[in-house]
Amino acid sequence: MRNSGIFFFFILACLSILAVLAMHARHARAGASAVLAANVGLVKTLGLTDLCLFTEARYTRHPSMADLHSPFQDHPFAMDHFPSGSLVTPPRLLQRAP
Amino acid sequence: MNRGFERHRSIIDFSISSLIRRKGKNLSLLAVYTLVVFVIASTIFFVQALKREAALLLGESPDIVVQRLVAGRHDLIPIGYVEKIAAIRGVSDVKPRLWGYYYDAAVGANYTVMAADSDPPPAGGVRLGNGVASTRRLSDGDVLTMRGADGTPALFTVEKVLPEASELVAADLVMMTAEDFRTLFAFPDGRATDLVLSVSNPRETTTVAAKIVRLFPDTRPILKSEILRTYDSVFDWRGGMLVVILSVALLSFIIFAWDKATGLSAEERKEIGILKSIGWETADVLMLKFWEGTVISLSAFLVGTILAYLHVFFFSASLFEQALKGWAVLYPRFRLIPVIDPYQLAVLFFLTVVPYAVATIIPSWRAATVDPDAVMRS
Amino acid sequence: MTVIELVNVTKTFNAGRTNQFKAVQEVSLSVTPGRVTVLKGPSGSGKTTLLALIGCMARPTSGRILLRGVGKPLFPGAEDNAELEISSLPERFLTAIRRSAFGFIFQQFNLVRGVTVLENVMLPAYPTGEKRGTVRRRAQGLLEMFGISRHASSRVDLLSGGETQRVAIARALINDPRVLIADEPTAHLDTGLSRDFMEIMGSFKAEGKTILIASHDPLVYDSTLVDRVVEMRDGRIIYGGDES
Repeated sequence: MRNSGIFFFFILACLSILAVLAMHARHARAGASAVLAANVGLVKTLGLTDLCLFTEARYTRHPSMADLHSPFQDHPFAMDHFPSGSLVTPPRLLQRAP
Repeated sequence: MNRGFERHRSIIDFSISSLIRRKGKNLSLLAVYTLVVFVIASTIFFVQALKREAALLLGESPDIVVQRLVAGRHDLIPIGYVEKIAAIRGVSDVKPRLWGYYYDAAVGANYTVMAADSDPPPAGGVRLGNGVASTRRLSDGDVLTMRGADGTPALFTVEKVLPEASELVAADLVMMTAEDFRTLFAFPDGRATDLVLSVSNPRETTTVAAKIVRLFPDTRPILKSEILRTYDSVFDWRGGMLVVILSVALLSFIIFAWDKATGLSAEERKEIGILKSIGWETADVLMLKFWEGTVISLSAFLVGTILAYLHVFFFSASLFEQALKGWAVLYPRFRLIPVIDPYQLAVLFFLTVVPYAVATIIPSWRAATVDPDAVMRS
Repeated sequence: MTVIELVNVTKTFNAGRTNQFKAVQEVSLSVTPGRVTVLKGPSGSGKTTLLALIGCMARPTSGRILLRGVGKPLFPGAEDNAELEISSLPERFLTAIRRSAFGFIFQQFNLVRGVTVLENVMLPAYPTGEKRGTVRRRAQGLLEMFGISRHASSRVDLLSGGETQRVAIARALINDPRVLIADEPTAHLDTGLSRDFMEIMGSFKAEGKTILIASHDPLVYDSTLVDRVVEMRDGRIIYGGDES
């Protein structure tokens, strides 16, 4: 088979796979409604305010609840308000392995 | 029309055979290119899906959360505030919330402990989030030992483990009765962590919040809209952080590709000279170079995007774990609902395929405009 | 019949610069159609440049080059006998004429390395948009004619000198040109292969093709197949031109 034929076939195959994935996405969205409803139920009954994404610290676990003086409040990329954050190491206590 | 199409096909044939002739260089280019697209597309899929779920789930968060600040720090709120706040016009419901953090020294993980008042577990029992259960290897009926505020151990029986699908909101949750909560943390009576409110008319939330602050100047109300906005920027940041890293990767790749492409090797130049001498026009040569670049970039884009989708939605974006986990011991398993944003993918397409095509054509321009008889003179 | 006429053609390289160089100076020549013409002269005499000018590969700095009998493929309605002044045609037309009317055999063969024999032969036909199957069959026929069809799928750099030249000749013929131009074709060949080459040229002459060869090899210009010898020196014709 010609080179260009193989290439066209390959591109077509990829596009078909993408189409299948798009359909999978739509199907999964429809099928996920039960799970979504269950999670929404949890949010409602417990009054949850944050997603459980980063559990290292309080202000990362509940960024929306964190008080105004903890990091990330201005903008998450602003790691520290003050340059001293880069100069002062964490206290010894925390550097010990658990 | 047929002639034009046949001409394109023949030129594509030759461009592919030219690529195969320099197999090593082109395979590595394809691999790097696919990797870059894969990482960027994974980020796009991941962030989009998280954003969407955040909006859907946190859309049901409380309308207002009232915290109390003492000397600039978050402090416990007196339950006595409930009555006055409930009396504010527009407030349909006020509830105190009991929740806090627990550091489990045995595994180095942080849990969020919550008192569940509607549908609580039995006294002495806990309902665990899936992340807690797997970190401590607990299942229904097992015993969880926690260290109380006075140092004595407290034993809880696991009543139920929440399903894995709930990890995004509840991976680190430990739910117990309000009494057990107060005992465990030696929580002062008459206090709560914060209050949650429902406001009947969503447009009045700001007014209600203002009234609360006037009533109790030591409080800080947090609106649902602010909660949602936090997550918008969190995802842009986290995604942004990755995108910054990737922009650097992409930029270095472009430089690498450009460097390869601008230095048209003597052999390639000779080939172009030969083609021109046997009757190929400048336009034909440029089309050849265009397809040489496009075959690689198009393939890389499609394969990278497909792999990215599979990575994020079938393998829970496991490759991002290291970047996102940080110091956390508990990390949720992302069963994200697939979302494909065609706009962002189109942008990715134009950012990756087009520059590469340009990077291959422009350096060839000079060589392509060579006189057909140049190959005879050299 | 293809008629090629050069009127007072001059080709200057690097015009206006210190290394300005007149490769061809005021050459007027009427190429005899259907005959074998040899351009004879030492290297630097301008033979190669003249061939390039005739074969539509370069444009003269001054003077005119006229072609008759090549117009049909370009302008379907035109008479085949229409006279075209190629010196003033845009690149696209020039290339189209060159592709269809002229077949070039280069001194260095100029085949694309790493590509198979068959693909090398088919290359000049790619931009024409002709159906690949047709081109392929024609190419295979040519390879058979020159006895090298067994090398069709081999890489062209693995062939011997004689075989490579035959590939070069086959390539020159893929678009069925009316004029064959060869630049020092026997430079890398031994006597036996040189004689083979002249024989092949003879067969094309018998088909009615016009053949132009630039050579300083006596085996070529003394051959009985040659109808006309034009001698060149320092860019001018010194013998065998139109006047004589």
